[in-house]
Amino acid sequence: MIISSRILGHYIDLPAELEQLVHTLTFSGIEVEAIKEIPELPPTVISARIISTEPVPDSNHLTKCMVDHGGPEPIQVVCGAPNCREGLVSALALPGTKLGDFTIKPTKLRGVESFGMLASEREMGISDNHAGIVEFAADTPVGISVNELYELPDAILELEITPNRPDLLGYVGIARDLSASLNLPLKEPVIQKLEGEKQCDMGLKLVVEDPEKCLRYTARLMEGVTVKESPQWLKTALIKSGLRPINNIVDVTNFVMFELGQPLHAFNYEKLRPLSLQDVQPAIVVRKARAGEKFEALDGKSLELDEADLVIADGQEASALAGVIGGMASSIDENTHRIVLESACFQSTTVRASSTKHKVSTDSSYRFERQLSPFAAETVSHRAVELILETAGGKLCGDLYDAFEQVPEPLRLTLRPQRFEELIGYRLSPQEITRYLEALDCKLVQENPDGMVFQIPHRRVDLTREADLLEELARLAGYDRIPSRTSISGIMDRHAFKNRRKIEDWFVQAAFHEALNFSFSDPAQYEALGLSTADVQDRLLKLVNPQSSNQSVMRISLLPQLLENLRHNLHHGERDLKLMEIGKIYCNVKGKIEEKLVLTAVMTGKAQAEHWLQKSEAVGLWYVKGLVEGLLQSMGLPITETKEHSQPWLAPGDNLAWLNNGRICASFGRLKTQTAENFDIDLGILKQEIWVLELDIDLIAELTRDRETVFRDLPRYPAVTRDLSFVIQTSVPYSQIREAIQAVAPELISEVQIFDQYLGESIPQGFRSVSLRLKLLDREKTLTDERVDELLASVREMLSRTWQIKMR
Amino acid sequence: MQDQLREAARQAQTAIAACQTNNDILNARAQFLGKKSLVNSLYSKLKDLPDAEKPAFGQLINDLRSELEKLLAQREKELKEQQRLQQDASKAQDLSLPGIMPGRGSLHPLTVVRREIEDIFMAMGFEIAEGPDIEDEFHNFDALNTPQDHPSRNLADTFYLENGLLLRTQTSTVQVRTMESFAPPIRIISPGRCYRNDKPDPSHSPVFHQVEALAVDKHLSMADLKDTLQNFARLMFGAGMKSRIRPHFFPFTEPSAEMDISCVSCGGHGCRICKNSGWLELGGAGMVDPAVLKTLGIDPEIWSGFALGMGIERIAMLKYNIPDMRILFENDVRALRQFSGESL
Repeated sequence: MIISSRILGHYIDLPAELEQLVHTLTFSGIEVEAIKEIPELPPTVISARIISTEPVPDSNHLTKCMVDHGGPEPIQVVCGAPNCREGLVSALALPGTKLGDFTIKPTKLRGVESFGMLASEREMGISDNHAGIVEFAADTPVGISVNELYELPDAILELEITPNRPDLLGYVGIARDLSASLNLPLKEPVIQKLEGEKQCDMGLKLVVEDPEKCLRYTARLMEGVTVKESPQWLKTALIKSGLRPINNIVDVTNFVMFELGQPLHAFNYEKLRPLSLQDVQPAIVVRKARAGEKFEALDGKSLELDEADLVIADGQEASALAGVIGGMASSIDENTHRIVLESACFQSTTVRASSTKHKVSTDSSYRFERQLSPFAAETVSHRAVELILETAGGKLCGDLYDAFEQVPEPLRLTLRPQRFEELIGYRLSPQEITRYLEALDCKLVQENPDGMVFQIPHRRVDLTREADLLEELARLAGYDRIPSRTSISGIMDRHAFKNRRKIEDWFVQAAFHEALNFSFSDPAQYEALGLSTADVQDRLLKLVNPQSSNQSVMRISLLPQLLENLRHNLHHGERDLKLMEIGKIYCNVKGKIEEKLVLTAVMTGKAQAEHWLQKSEAVGLWYVKGLVEGLLQSMGLPITETKEHSQPWLAPGDNLAWLNNGRICASFGRLKTQTAENFDIDLGILKQEIWVLELDIDLIAELTRDRETVFRDLPRYPAVTRDLSFVIQTSVPYSQIREAIQAVAPELISEVQIFDQYLGESIPQGFRSVSLRLKLLDREKTLTDERVDELLASVREMLSRTWQIKMR
Repeated sequence: MQDQLREAARQAQTAIAACQTNNDILNARAQFLGKKSLVNSLYSKLKDLPDAEKPAFGQLINDLRSELEKLLAQREKELKEQQRLQQDASKAQDLSLPGIMPGRGSLHPLTVVRREIEDIFMAMGFEIAEGPDIEDEFHNFDALNTPQDHPSRNLADTFYLENGLLLRTQTSTVQVRTMESFAPPIRIISPGRCYRNDKPDPSHSPVFHQVEALAVDKHLSMADLKDTLQNFARLMFGAGMKSRIRPHFFPFTEPSAEMDISCVSCGGHGCRICKNSGWLELGGAGMVDPAVLKTLGIDPEIWSGFALGMGIERIAMLKYNIPDMRILFENDVRALRQFSGESL
């Protein structure tokens, strides 16, 4: 629903800031879906009357006008609008006025001087209407600021009215809700029933055949009305709500719909026929449409109705599709002097079905599709009568015709204040409860030990249970007031928790068995690893009361115990072993105690289970390296360098460490034969290698803490793969070659992979043949063969230049 | 001419029917419909015919042409179908031979149980908190209301380091540390290693693992403790599991209780494992002693809390029917392998 905040301001004092209004609306359950601000116009945009016109020579659309803007002399303005005519009061922008990015200057059009611009609504930012220059009501004085005539500045709000709140479908409804949430008085229009002339020759036969679909039908007769254009305030109100003004009668019915939320319709009394020739009085019959009944709607569409449609008919044919749209035949025009004003209430499902079936959606059907209360019909009629008399004159004939069968007592609901606290979570005092609900016209009629009894106004068809009242209170007091009690407090290091589980799972997937060993160890074991007593002495934390000498210190490495586990299992005839432990090590670091979570793995024998079809490789350098690389890559660990991991227990050459800024994240290596022997494992007899792998779990958690996976749009162009083979010095590491190639075009070379390496007869000493697969991908455009060839040429050129090698 | 036409048709039909590969089809098409083909040469002979016969004969050649096209297409389709059948033909393998299985690793049974406990408590809204194994006397004893002369402080019960620190005897230390740093409401569990100077035997180990739960909030009562225990017992051991608490004494809880669950072995009927009582002791519990809360700056008039603790080894032994705690630290792969199914 579209509303103007300025017009809303007629019914309640609004907060000074638009932002606050929007917030209040949204947080009381009326979501503001869009805001269109209409800025204030410069003071040099004023009303002006066109006093004479003549066509501009050599132009088929330009008119030369003399315009009275209230100054001493009329001004000459050239205008191209089709509705530019003598007598019209329009908006004039004087020279120097800035409208948007455009400044009005005195100019010449087809040789005719023009000293200003007559403007359309679009040019002034009021609406999208650019069909012609604006047409103010004829009685509008000249020289008045257009800001005044259009109530500018303004903000047009698009509201989402939830289906349970038909009472919010007009300005007054919104204002009433705001009055409750803002605790401000509602400035409701005073509506009185006006008595009609008793002596009147108009009469009507009203028949409601289907009271189930037409909950109430009221009609009022008026004669002597003058159909003409509406006063400016009325025009402005309709334009703000997105409607074109038509004439005063139709405009009043639309305005009252916007104001009070219930649509109305005016029929041309003269066009309504009686039920039979004998009857004198014209008839209004609310009935089911006849199958195949033809109906010409106001929008010009011809509809074929069926029995599911409800129509307002005269004695003969349908005059309106109930609640959806009026008919052409009985519409109001300048010659209409006698009218029937309908204010009725229809069943929502019927209106929705007709609107959907005939694909006609109107401001009226939008409202009737939600079940309105039939009680409003009378008041709404009175309001329209008052405004019609004001704008069209004439007089009211007779009393209100009213077909209304059911007059139920207003509903009474009991509300227990303590239920509010139980359900919503905080206490609301009975005083506050009363204030909020009475602002919505729910009268407190009784207070007893069971609770507070409220009488519900008819318009609030949605309030039928205590729970509905509790919701109203929670909504109006604001959900912000509901206290929140968090029990999840951020104590847990969720990242470290997940990190540990991921790594544990990674090793289980790789067929490792997890071991758990005591936190105590034997200092002699560190000597067995090859560490000197002096090396470890300061780092060891000694127990005062160990159970035995081989459990006399806290462990500073998981490796010795795992090697013992290995020996234990080897002694039981197991040959293929992959063991890992995740656990703490405990070090004395210059008097400070450091507890660090690490992972150590030991492995020997087959890397994969033996299979009859394919022979399994033994655990070796490439297997262990791949295990670490795979893990580090999956976790997205930022590695800044790799280097030799030289340790007394690791064989030289067959080891490597991955570092981040000097700190070791991961390492691996082959266990020395001597070290194995120190742990009572004879590799000579075993004829297997033992490999060791270590991870710093705490450090990995720290380095991956801020890593996030961000989805990247899939490339729209296919990738191209090209192979490249060359012979290069063995002294140049693969990583260097790869980086150098990638650097040739980092945005195009998405992958470099080695798929073959050859050292042998045909290759000279100190050289190796390397075969690489390059994946090339351009995210912006298709990679043509020429660009691919060019790219490969520059890669080759770079390789031969950097390492003086000959390309094949 | 008619004869030539008929002869060409006969030759082509035979050749097409004999095609066995896609290549044969290509060759046949070139031979019979290509530039130098028989059919094409017939076109060149058209000019020699009398004008009256030209249209009829031309039509005949055209008909032959499309007939051959059709035959070629049909033969091509047949060949494709044959190829598909061949590709999908049974390879006649011995399907009783083993497939290539990915290796099977395992988490340690204590890890399996720890994770299970963590998951159950996290589902109940608890967070996981951890703390150091090496502690001071304040966090391990003083803050927990343990009298200075309490026997648990002895060297015979607690391991001490040369620097005066000790190895925590329970993970209640983490509760203390959490309450020091965070204001209530608090709901945590603290899994971790604990140390007591017990000689290893079937039911003792100087190094063991514990999980403790702590909840501090407004309006927490022993009913919440019982609920938490009951929910845990059901989720850990099965829907039919019963639980109960019995009065007991701990310095840091008031009232204190011991928690029992129905015997996992006999289901409560009584057996050797539960010494015919139908119940197994799970651990200790109670309402956090107001003195403990006060020591940690939490007003016991506003806040109340419950705590419960249990041994992971004991739960693992009950759950998997492991007879001796020492097996859990032997790391014998013949034992570890049995937990592959628990680790997936």
